Amino acid sequence: MFSDDTIAAISTPPGRGGIGVVRLSGPDSLNITTSFFRSESIEAGVPNRAQYGRVVDPATDELLDEVIVTYFKAPHSYTGEEVVEISAHGSPIILARILQLALMRGARLAEPGEFTFRAFFNKRIDLAQAQAVRDVINAQTQYQARVATKQLEGALSKRVTPLKDALVEVIVHLESSLEFVEDDVSPEAASSLLDKIVDVIDALTAIASSFSFGWYLKEGFDLAIVGRPNVGKSSVFNRLIGSDRAIVTELPGTTRDALYESTSISGVPVRLIDTAGIRETNDLVESIGIIRSRAAIADADISILVIDGSCLLRKEDLELLDSVPEASRIIALNKTDLPNSLDEEMFDQAGVHFAELYDNVVGISALTGSGFEELTSKIFERLSGAAATERDDIMLTDARQHAAVQEAIEQLTAARELLSRRELEEIVLLKLRGALAALGEITGETLTEDILGQIFSTFCIGK
Amino acid sequence: MAAEKTFDVIVIGAGHSGCEAAHIAARIGARTALVTIDTNSIGQMSCNPAIGGIAKGHLVREVDALGGIMGEVIDATGIQFRLLNRSRGPAVQSPRAQADRNLYRSEMRRRLSDTQNLSIIEGEVAEIKFNADRVTGVELAGGTIIEGRSVVLTTGTFLNGLIHVGKKTFQAGRSGEPASIKLADCIRGIGFKTGRLKTGTPPRLDGRTIDYSKFERQPGDDRPVPFSFKTESIDRRQIECSIGYTNEEVHDVIRRNLDKSPLYSGDIQGIGPRYCPSIEDKVVKFSEKSRHQIFLEPEGYDTYEVYPNGISTSMAEEVQHEFVRRISGLENVKLLRPGYAVEYDFVDPRELAGTLETKRINGLFHAGQINGTSGYEEAAGQGIVAGMNAALAALGRAPVVFDRAESYIGVMIDDLVTKGADEPYRMFTSRAEMRLSLRYDNADQRLTPLARKIGSIGDCDWEAFLKRQDQVALVKDYLQTAKVNDLDDELLRELELVGSADAYGGKRLDYLARRPDCSQQRLLEIIKTAIGNLAEESQITVAMNDLRYAGYLKDQEALVRRRGRYDDLEIPAGLEFSKISGLSSEVVQKLTRIRPRTVGQAARIPGVTPAAVSILLVMLCRS
Repeated sequence: MFSDDTIAAISTPPGRGGIGVVRLSGPDSLNITTSFFRSESIEAGVPNRAQYGRVVDPATDELLDEVIVTYFKAPHSYTGEEVVEISAHGSPIILARILQLALMRGARLAEPGEFTFRAFFNKRIDLAQAQAVRDVINAQTQYQARVATKQLEGALSKRVTPLKDALVEVIVHLESSLEFVEDDVSPEAASSLLDKIVDVIDALTAIASSFSFGWYLKEGFDLAIVGRPNVGKSSVFNRLIGSDRAIVTELPGTTRDALYESTSISGVPVRLIDTAGIRETNDLVESIGIIRSRAAIADADISILVIDGSCLLRKEDLELLDSVPEASRIIALNKTDLPNSLDEEMFDQAGVHFAELYDNVVGISALTGSGFEELTSKIFERLSGAAATERDDIMLTDARQHAAVQEAIEQLTAARELLSRRELEEIVLLKLRGALAALGEITGETLTEDILGQIFSTFCIGK
Repeated sequence: MAAEKTFDVIVIGAGHSGCEAAHIAARIGARTALVTIDTNSIGQMSCNPAIGGIAKGHLVREVDALGGIMGEVIDATGIQFRLLNRSRGPAVQSPRAQADRNLYRSEMRRRLSDTQNLSIIEGEVAEIKFNADRVTGVELAGGTIIEGRSVVLTTGTFLNGLIHVGKKTFQAGRSGEPASIKLADCIRGIGFKTGRLKTGTPPRLDGRTIDYSKFERQPGDDRPVPFSFKTESIDRRQIECSIGYTNEEVHDVIRRNLDKSPLYSGDIQGIGPRYCPSIEDKVVKFSEKSRHQIFLEPEGYDTYEVYPNGISTSMAEEVQHEFVRRISGLENVKLLRPGYAVEYDFVDPRELAGTLETKRINGLFHAGQINGTSGYEEAAGQGIVAGMNAALAALGRAPVVFDRAESYIGVMIDDLVTKGADEPYRMFTSRAEMRLSLRYDNADQRLTPLARKIGSIGDCDWEAFLKRQDQVALVKDYLQTAKVNDLDDELLRELELVGSADAYGGKRLDYLARRPDCSQQRLLEIIKTAIGNLAEESQITVAMNDLRYAGYLKDQEALVRRRGRYDDLEIPAGLEFSKISGLSSEVVQKLTRIRPRTVGQAARIPGVTPAAVSILLVMLCRS
């Protein structure tokens, strides 16, 4: 039904990554592309082959970029239509010009999500996949891509399904006690059903708690590295981002802010807050910058306070300790490669109870790299909350799924409360059914027919 | 041959759906004919001699609230009444009664004979007559033609009925009654999608040969709760039922003879109900159970025939003898008739609209087992809807469709016409999203105003209804204004509340109605004393029950909203699903066959994926 028009858009996120893709979908995709694509070879129309060439503005003969063009023939494409993907170097300006060429030659600018929508319409993907695909597209880094891929494979649904089954079992027992009072059924006692409900609540709570982390994975987090001069902030920063250094890029102009720099740590996107400006000054402009820096640190998801462990604790260290919010604070005692001059007593003498900090103190050496593994996992531990989520475990990244899990927990908690108060079964069941419906948004709907079927196979019903 | 008679509505079959259909059509003012093979079998209970049960009792109450007769007939002929789930919540309580089978039949026949506008005709219908896609009447086996504007088909187990007893099979609709073969050919000829279902009955026992000392006694209630809103009280003598059990010896006999069971030899093709398995099915599927329950149900006051509920079977007759006699207390029992299984044709209910009119033939309605249901009550519930709409159509009036949110009848019909029947359909309370609101005690509040508009409720009954409605309002008003503090301490203690009085002292009485630990019986007594004779006890109960669930109605609605998000979004009647790109051919096929009325109905069709629903939504939003 859409076969009459061709859409085009930049299909990589704005300003991210080293490569950008302009995608076209619709009957004229190939014609439009060949009008501005120049290649040594004449095989631009061969499907599924990456073709090297140049994009040239036909009006001016100006060379815009060297690109790779891939043509996917309908219906064997992502949208099920004729699709061309033009991979160019990531500059937003170049991508915009290539897109402009496509639009001038008959393509229409795609609505947000229209590619996925067409894929969905042409039955190339289902709704859940459509959502996961959206996340893959947004995945800035490998770790995100991994989580998104897992969801695509239904990992979340696999995790939730046994919980849903346990819930159905509880429902089966309660329904049986209502519907088949004349039959010889022996439903489980309320206490045992209560235990099962609690188990499901616990498991769902663990999944729900992965959401904040999953959210960080998708959206990235703000990291501040603070410390007085010469404690090694820059080296700590360089160590932390390690091999990811290469893909450090600026944010696009619209959201560009001198205060931030984008990078990633272990594959998770990070906005690094530049705290270099934090020092005493009389300059008005600079002090505005300092106020902004302070505010940014206060809002940061994680602040690493670097303290030089090889020398004595200073007043500035203690002031910084005060000014960085405890909830987001991790203390890195740097330079463990040198003899240690700092001990717990020193903190205690300064009026800081070291024992209380202990969980959030990591000894590191930016020089040798020792302790950085612990520092990184401390960061992720902080991001993922108290339930230290296993790194490769399933993450909730989608707000809708999170809301569904959260609703299921609420309904189950209410059901547990009602059941222990000996409230009427049909009222308890209302909450349980509510929880089941919520989980259905992840696993697919459980029909009354399915519950009845389960009853008939559990109990011998029928006079 | 020229037509000999002309009617507005012709009802074929006089079982539980046919009787209701004919009665209500006549009541609304349609000249109605009820055609039956045998007038002696009007209102025959072919299976167990009982009406009601959980969810089924709700249906009978709804039929009664709409102006039907099943409730009154069972109230007049019941020999044991019990309110099931009495100790549980009001929404899942439901009346059940044993009937005197013969009395029930004659009472039903008497009432139908006394119904104005209704003629009872004995004869076998061989053919449905129609012109293009409009029904014109029926032709009897002898060639007589009866003309009618609407025809209601209630064939029960008679369409191509085939009875199995062991390896023996014979064509019959019920034991001893001929099957409808020509009519079945006619139905198939129209092009309806048909299937085969199966049901069964146990052997009948001679009560004089039963040792009742080996059985537990199951008495009825001291104060029977009637089915009909019109019945004030039931004072008839009540009889007892008895409960016993099978044993391993019985199971051994059955296992040894499974090869002679048509169910396991593959002779029976039809699908039987999972909730009502034969004893051979129970033994095979639940082999770990060492015993299965049997209820001995007397068939009436003046008969020694006993119905052993729980051992329906199609085993060979001699096997039936052998295993029954190994049941404790039945060692010397005499079998009056063997049990049997019957296979019959049904028409896919997805051929029907929500009015129960077929989509292929205008003016033709289907009700009861032909739609893949089981149970007298389910049959009656469809009978009344088909009868109403047949009459309304014949009289040129607007049809009526029942809402899932307002009645079990609505739930049942919506389920049938959207999901079809994979096995004989039985009502369960869990099928209703609005279970808390669809109670047996408020069926009149839910449905009688609608029935009054349709014209099936007389002035007298309407006055009585308004009076009940006023009483409920009055009691509710009292409960919502009177304070708990105003009760004297003695009364409060009697309510047996847990916890300190401070917690509820300032509250109104409706708060007590909602507390799970409050003795509802005592609260009822308190209200009775306070209100005096301003309200009947039954209406006090309705008011209390309304308040009991008041705090949870929003949860229920949330659940319905979630489920029926698109129920108000109508799909245009002529929409060609095959022209919508993106729908799989399987989904197109299903939608084309079922032709759902709303996107909500479409979403409930098994196999229609969320993706397909989204496509439909986009389609409808665009046009």
